[in-house]
Amino acid sequence: MSNVISASHLTLAYDNGAKEIIKDASFSIKKGEFVFITGPSGSGKSTLLKALYGQLKPSEGNLVVGGLDLATARQSKLQELRTHMGIIFQDYKLVNEWTVAKNVVLPLMIAGYSVDVQNTQAHRLLKHVKLAEHADKYPLELSGGEQQRVGVARALAKNPVVILADEPTGNLDDYSSNVIWDLMENACQQLETTVLVVTHKIPTIFSLPYRHLIIESKGVYEVH
Amino acid sequence: MKFIKNHLMFIFPLMAILLGIEFYLVFDRTTDSYEKGLKEGYSMLVVTKKPMELSALKALNKHISTSEKIKRENIVSEIAKGVSKSSSKEILAALPYFYNVGLDSYLHTSGLEKIKMDLEADTNIKKVETFGSSYSSAYRLFSFIKFTLKLFIVFMGVVSLFLIIKQMEIWKYAHKQRMQVMEIFGAPLMLRSGVLFKVATIDAFIATILTSAIFLYVKFQWAANSGIDIMVQNQEELFRLTDMAILLGSALLLVIIAVYSVVFTSKGVQE
Repeated sequence: MSNVISASHLTLAYDNGAKEIIKDASFSIKKGEFVFITGPSGSGKSTLLKALYGQLKPSEGNLVVGGLDLATARQSKLQELRTHMGIIFQDYKLVNEWTVAKNVVLPLMIAGYSVDVQNTQAHRLLKHVKLAEHADKYPLELSGGEQQRVGVARALAKNPVVILADEPTGNLDDYSSNVIWDLMENACQQLETTVLVVTHKIPTIFSLPYRHLIIESKGVYEVH
Repeated sequence: MKFIKNHLMFIFPLMAILLGIEFYLVFDRTTDSYEKGLKEGYSMLVVTKKPMELSALKALNKHISTSEKIKRENIVSEIAKGVSKSSSKEILAALPYFYNVGLDSYLHTSGLEKIKMDLEADTNIKKVETFGSSYSSAYRLFSFIKFTLKLFIVFMGVVSLFLIIKQMEIWKYAHKQRMQVMEIFGAPLMLRSGVLFKVATIDAFIATILTSAIFLYVKFQWAANSGIDIMVQNQEELFRLTDMAILLGSALLLVIIAVYSVVFTSKGVQE
């Protein structure tokens, strides 16, 4: 299978290269793979994710996502790439003044789908994450677990090629965590979506085969 | 209530800037016509040995625009009352030629001095009287009023700009989260800033309409009934339809600058 993500001698740094977080890392991820990225706090897990959705440019080396070299890509190309990604954050990043349904269909809105399609999809997605009855509520009216399920539904809205999740169950109870892992497993299994999850701990109940990358001492290593 | 307050906090400073612009336009037009009146009412006296054409005077200084020959016969008849006809003829022959010379613009007194020097350099010109002192006091008063009003307009503009920058900070706080989330999911700039543009454009229209309404009231009600000569005479200059286009254009330009500043400073994901 083809690589969806490939990094070669990748260096990621802040402050114009002065503060290196990841140095000379090389790895590749194929379509449909489920990958956990772990590492100690401050090791650069979230920084790597940021680079993968084009928020941080590589200081050195190459980082190619969906055939686009992120080191040299223009802003318009990065924007286009992001429309094929589903991104999940630990702090949900929902728009608080929008209803749950509107938050969920944001990727469809950006893609220019009609309001009818958006409404149908919102209903389907919210049913999928077991939040159909909360469609007209606002994010702050929901619990943390429910908000994260809205975030997952939003990430799945446009059947993305890649899902990037940053500590998606970090603040959640077991029930909500299990629902979220189920949703991501399904996406990977049924839609062949590539899923990258940054986490402190790999969940014990996980049925899919997965890869495990660890970030340590600025390097990215495969754990077998 | 909060919604109205947010709108008013942008509309008021925008209106202050638009009022400043309109004041400037109106003042410029009114002073132009006043200046024209002063200019037309002013002429200097030039005394020459031989008759002199306007083109010859113009060749000496480019600000000279008109010249009117004063009939020497009238002068003689005034100064030689009771004198015999032959003596009158002699006086007339000995009398130099007098011209009222008009200028093309309302000049500073130093400009008048320059014209006087240029004219007196010609050997045919015996004397130039600029009536500088009365001209100078009118000019100074006029310049002072003009300067004060322009200073006030600039001050009003600066204060309003600060208020708009303050409002932009509020916008940034209110819209940052939504714009950042939309950016993460690949929304183009126009979509990200759409709501803000809509709100700001509506405010720009409201500010333009209110400012125009104030000046229309001043033009058709206040100025017409004020009894102030300069207002009544220049009523037409107080507000023109083209001013509305200028005001709307300025308001929209400010809106574009303000919205884009907010959008570009809200880029990137909040950690």
